[in-house]
Amino acid sequence: MRRFGLWASFAAGLYVLQTSILPLTAYHGISPNLMLLLTVSFSFLRGKRLGVLMGFCVGLLQDLATGTFFGVDVFSCMAIGYVCGKFSDQVFKDQFFLPLTVSVFATVAHYFILASFMFLLGYRFPFITHLQNVFLPMLCYQFVCAYPVHKAACWMDQYVKGKQ
Amino acid sequence: MSKRIRRDKSSNRKSWVLAVVFASIFCLVFLAGKGHFEAYLSNQAVSLVLSPFQQAVSWVGSQVNYVTSNIWEIATEHQQNKMLRNEVEQLRAQNLQASEYAAENERLRALLGYKQSATQFDLMAARVIGRESATWSSMIVINRGTVDGIQENMAVVTEKGLVGHVTEAGVNSSKVQLIMDPRSSVGTLVQRPQSRVTGIVEGDMGNPTMPRMVNIPKNADVVEGDVIVTSGFGGVYPKGIIVGTVSSLGNDPGGLLKYGVIEPSVNFQKLEDVAVIVKSREIVPAPLVSPAQTPGTESGSAENSRTAGGTP
Repeated sequence: MRRFGLWASFAAGLYVLQTSILPLTAYHGISPNLMLLLTVSFSFLRGKRLGVLMGFCVGLLQDLATGTFFGVDVFSCMAIGYVCGKFSDQVFKDQFFLPLTVSVFATVAHYFILASFMFLLGYRFPFITHLQNVFLPMLCYQFVCAYPVHKAACWMDQYVKGKQ
Repeated sequence: MSKRIRRDKSSNRKSWVLAVVFASIFCLVFLAGKGHFEAYLSNQAVSLVLSPFQQAVSWVGSQVNYVTSNIWEIATEHQQNKMLRNEVEQLRAQNLQASEYAAENERLRALLGYKQSATQFDLMAARVIGRESATWSSMIVINRGTVDGIQENMAVVTEKGLVGHVTEAGVNSSKVQLIMDPRSSVGTLVQRPQSRVTGIVEGDMGNPTMPRMVNIPKNADVVEGDVIVTSGFGGVYPKGIIVGTVSSLGNDPGGLLKYGVIEPSVNFQKLEDVAVIVKSREIVPAPLVSPAQTPGTESGSAENSRTAGGTP
């Protein structure tokens, strides 16, 4: 329970950072999605079961707090948490390139899952323009933020384990 | 052997549970997307818990932003003002606090000026404490809620024009859907008296910073530079609030209609203070007062009026 509380506070802190400070650095209204990066890092550190749980929690937090399309972030973060967690025992978690590489794949997956939902819900948009205006800036932001978030998640993991 | 079988069964069960959860959320997305499901209480609870933190961090963020923007400004002027740099830095450090208050004062004065000039609206000033970083929608969180009289579907403006409307009113904070959100649609018309063409301004997913005015007939009199205002249709947005200007026009793929790309009058990147229209009313036109007549011409004008009225 204590572990859950610590991780919940960590996620809430990152979320507050994401919605309050990072929008000041936004480019065309796009700013990084730290919740996705947290899900990826946590899944690699703790495996698919807890990765899915983290994806569910942070996705729900985003959906409830921002009033966006309900459920899309939950679904996407859970799926990404599951896939990343699957590979958790096959990678070196301290490697510098791991969060950078995976952040790109996770952002692409997140974007296409959300785009598919938008399409299925009946929203039409010019795909190429949207890629240029929204996806590419988002990808750059995610790439830049991936390593700091991963290091913070590793530190938190060590801290939580030390508390046990 | 029996342990392995048990583990396999447990693993199978977990996979099934996971699959059911995924399928449920998949269905939930569509129910929510079509407006059949809304987690209202959970939304309220999350907003209630998060908004004080968002407010505090937002304040810190605005301070940091102000300081960093000042540093950048100083860095760019460094070459020109090499001799005066030390003095300027010292003065800036001394005036940092005062400048912050001055900037805030200016913004609030502008908002107050709008509040006093827009007599047809009762406005409630609010501060932006959170912004959404989601790719597919545009929402902000403001620090006013139901305790301040905020309710859903109230229009949100600044002195420069329309911002959006309240979609969820929490106890001490509210979520505002911006006009750039693809779910938002605002009944509008062209302000130019010769035109007065109506259309709907809605968010454009392809260009999240520039909404579109759609449903314009192809032969309608709309030109680049036209000012677009709210039409008052639909009941959410009162009539006459500036939305933006037409920056370009394009043809709808259907062939019968065209659309205008709107440059919003509000700078959404620098949105710090807004006002919520808690009440709006029709403006009663002031009674016409006849102008003061030049002495000596009263009889002539009286005669004219008699003639015009058909009196012999």
